[in-house]
Parts: sequence; C-alpha cells; structure tokens
Amino acid sequence: MRLVIARCSVDYVGRLTAHLPMAPRLILIKADGSVSIHCDDRAFKPLNWMNPPCKIREDDGTWTVTHSKTGEKLILTMDEIMHDSKHELGVDPGLQKDGVEAHLQELLAEHITTLGAGYTLVRREYMTAIGPVDILCRDQSGATVAVEIKRRGEIDGVEQLTRYLELLNRDPLLAPVRGVFAAQEIKPQAKVLAMDRGIDCVTLDYDGLRGIEPENPTLF
Amino acid sequence: MMFRVDRDVLAEAVAWTARSLPARPSVPVLAGMRLEVTDDQQLKLSGFDYEVSAEVTLDLQTGESGVVLVSGRLLAEITRALPAQPVDFVVEGAKAVVTCGTARFTLLTMPVEDYPSLPAMPPAAGRVGSDIFASAVAQVATAAGKDDTLPMLTGVRMEIDGDTVTLAATDRYRLAVRELKWQPDQPDFQAIAMIPGRTLADTAKSLVTGAEVEIALSSVGGTGEGMIGFSSSGRRTTTRLLDPEFPKYRSLLPTEFSARAELVTSSFVEAVKRVALVAERNTPVRLAFRGDEVVLEAGSGDEAQAVEVLPVDFDGGEINIAFNHQFLLEGLGAIDSDVARLQFTTSTKPAILTGGKPVEDGGIPDYRYLIMPIRLSS
Repeated sequence: MRLVIARCSVDYVGRLTAHLPMAPRLILIKADGSVSIHCDDRAFKPLNWMNPPCKIREDDGTWTVTHSKTGEKLILTMDEIMHDSKHELGVDPGLQKDGVEAHLQELLAEHITTLGAGYTLVRREYMTAIGPVDILCRDQSGATVAVEIKRRGEIDGVEQLTRYLELLNRDPLLAPVRGVFAAQEIKPQAKVLAMDRGIDCVTLDYDGLRGIEPENPTLF
Repeated sequence: MMFRVDRDVLAEAVAWTARSLPARPSVPVLAGMRLEVTDDQQLKLSGFDYEVSAEVTLDLQTGESGVVLVSGRLLAEITRALPAQPVDFVVEGAKAVVTCGTARFTLLTMPVEDYPSLPAMPPAAGRVGSDIFASAVAQVATAAGKDDTLPMLTGVRMEIDGDTVTLAATDRYRLAVRELKWQPDQPDFQAIAMIPGRTLADTAKSLVTGAEVEIALSSVGGTGEGMIGFSSSGRRTTTRLLDPEFPKYRSLLPTEFSARAELVTSSFVEAVKRVALVAERNTPVRLAFRGDEVVLEAGSGDEAQAVEVLPVDFDGGEINIAFNHQFLLEGLGAIDSDVARLQFTTSTKPAILTGGKPVEDGGIPDYRYLIMPIRLSS
C-alpha cells in the first residue's frame, strides 16, 4: 500500500470524461495496482479511481494510470508531493460482518433450555459429512434435535438444515432427528417452508440470552 | 352442484371464512375455500390452515348437492364487489360459474379430494353473551405480547372455574385481567387454555352477529386437548392452543395501595396524547399528583417539553410516577368507563388502572390493567 499526499488535478479519459481541479488529495496505490483518489471528508468511496488490471507510469509532473484491457486513462497532474510512503499490509482476513451468529450459537448452547424444558446439549458444531450442524441436542424425551442458527432466518437456512436432517436421519444411532430453526428474526417464507418440512421455528432473543435486561422495568 | 343465495348473505359468509385462509399456503389447496351443498339444502363454506379452521352454514332455498373447492381470496373479492342481487353459483365440469345480475365470473376449481378435513369441534363446554365476550377479549388482548421471542406471552390465558371465566394477558410491561360470568354446561367445569392473542381477538369480534357464543373446550385432563372452538349463529371456528405455560400473574396484582387517583377518562386521554407528542420512543410521560391536581409532563430539557395540569380526585401522599404513554393510553382505552381510577403503592411498583364505580370493600373490579412504571432518572 503506497500512500501519496499531493496537490494534483485528475482527468479521467475513457467511457466518460471527468475532471478534478487542482487541490491537495490522498492517492492510494494498492498492491494489486489499483489507484484511488480521496479527498478529506466522509468514509466514502474515492473521488475517482482505476480498478486493476492497470499500469501506472510516473513521468515528471504527470502520472498516467492506464487500464490494461479497456485503455481507459486516469491522468494525474502533480503540482507538489507532500508525502509518499509505502507499507506492506499482507493478506487481509476479510470483513467479518459480525460475530452475532457464532455468539448466538455459544449462548444457545449455554442456555439450551431456551428451546424447551429438559433439553440437553450433545455438542456444538456436530460434524457431518456435509458440514457441521450448529447444535445437536436431545429433547426431554431423549430424542435427537438438530438446531440451525442464523441471525436472519431465510429460505437457504431451512434448506441447509433439511440437508443435515436428511443425512443425520440415516444414522440409526441418532434417528429420528427433529429439526429446529433458530434465528433472531425469521422471514415468513422461511417459516412456511420450515413448518411444511416439520421443522420447528424458534425466534431467539439475543439480548435476553446475553442477560441484557430490557431498557424499561418489567412486571416480572 | 349449484345454489342460489342472496348477495349480502354470501358476501358476509365468504368474507368471514376467508379471514382464516393462509396468506402463504404451503400446499396450494389450502388457499381454497370449500363450498358444500348438503342434501338438506344447507351451504357450508369452510377454510383451514392447520392452525385455525372456520366454517359457516347457511340455509338455502334452491340448491343441488355437491362439493367444490375454489380460490378463497378471489371468491371473497368477487362476492364483495357483486351487485345487490341473487347470486347463482353453478359448477360446470372443472369450472365454477358465479352469476349475479349482469356480472358473470368463471373460476377454476381445485381438487377437493386433496383438501384436509376440518378438525372436529372439542366437546361444547358452555355459552357466553357475544357482546360481553368480545369486549372482554378486546380489553385483555391489548396487553398480549407481539414479540415472537416470547411465544408464551403472545397468547391470552383463559381460566374457567365453574361459572367464572378469567382472561389474562401480559407482555411483561403490563398485565390485563378480566373476569366474566358464563353459563357452563356442567356447574363444576374447570379448564385452562392459552389461545393465540390475535386469533382470539379476531374471532371474538367477528362472532358478535349472534347473541351467544358457544365455547367448546375440554376440561382439565379431558380428551381433545390442544384445541378450542367457538361457535355462534351458524359460524364455527377452531384454533390450536399454545403451550399452557404462563407466569403466575395473580401474585403480581397488588392488593394494598398508598394512593388513589380518579380522573375523567376522556380528558385524561386527551391530555396524555397531547403531552406525548414531545415524548420520543421509550421516553415516559411523567405524572405528579399533588392535592387536587395532577401535572402531566413529557420531554426533557434537551428537547421539546410539554406540561398540562388536570383536576383529579386524589387520596393519599404525593406521588411522582412515569409511564410509557402508549401503554397508558391503551389501558385507558380498554377500561371502557368515564372514570379512570389509578391506584399506586410507590413510584417504582406497578400501578393498577380500573374503571367505573369502586366496588365495595373486599371486592375486585371485573377488569384490571396493571402497568409497570418507568424509573424516573432525576
């Protein structure tokens, strides 16, 4: 990652033309060759940019970024370079939207009786040939229950649980296995599909599981 | 199969039956409404979604027996829009033809043999006046929870002990309890049922056409548990019951109070609505009772503020208490009385809202609305 702060003007020549007048700006040149030009406000997309694959040619006072396939050009006219530094960032682990789903799994495993009195945990992340089932537990009568946990319960979550159930039910030691689809919020379509397949739906109260009291006092 | 029936009668019956049809049927036939003309010249319209079933029976002048299944939603829309003339319904092969005046509709029929049979009514348990039942249910259902994370709070609990029915619902912030008399078939009948709140409210409201509602429910430990039925003037509906678990609410109802306030309901409601205009979501309306007046306030120094003073018949020590305005207004709407009576113990303990004349010593009013105050920060 190369950071350049410079007074520059930028012209874009390609499918359309755009011009950024002379001003101090931040120019990011990333490891993949992409170039983006930022101004000093908002956590927002760049003022202008060139996606990879592209090449950068640095002449005196003029930098030209050319897209290798389309030939589009970003021409930076450099008046003054105030800062130029380079840092090795390595491979990014990727954006984790949130850890809610994993946390829900952990919390539900801890408070497995949320699903019903007498439920006991067998194991979290119960491994099957097609992937781990979020929670495997037993109900009050000792029958096996597979739980799929989602933050938002949608159709694909039900499909996923259906696949696990089909596989688990082939195991004579576990069968019959019942399914429970647990989510903070379950879409009506997903609910219909789950009911139709004999899968129970449970709406989870994340704050309640975390032990966060409701904002206002309650009667009990 | 064919029949002729008055438009208004048909439209009303179809609309009532269509209420219980599922919005997202998992099997297409469940979107259908079953119409049957019996040999004794009765028309039966029914709908079922495995949770709620509904059936209306109408007497016919002319009819030819048979069964047909057509799209319920479409039939409801059509019958509602028909002119005020007799409606002829004739099944011709795989199609049903509805003719009324100059309008003629052809509907596709669905396979009747795929349609599930309606659940049998549980044994009849007794009767209650339809108006009193509808108002009692409405008073209680308002406090039922709407949050799916606590399924047990989305229901209305019905406890029957002899000739007394107690309805109760709570969403943790308020609790509504209503007692009413009914006529059980057996004088020592006892039962407990948790009925889905929204379904019960809809059902009770829609059964006021008849004078009485018959409640069909098995007693404690009886057969046919897990289901409750209501019927009135040719309409019958069944609903699957919820898990009978419910908080022990009776111990929540305070019996001793340190203060009592009586206000004119209508002006109290108006005043709360006015000051609540500046109350943001989850911020309370504050009530300060002093001598013969109450000061209503909402909003804080950082935002808009509102103040209103109302006369009050107050008895007890000065009290400052704050409520969620929505919950307070719903309670005031439910007491169904010109006079609203609030009874307090302290500003952090639940207050009871009742209406009407105070009952003699030791008696409890028919309807009680318990509301949890919000803590005052200052």
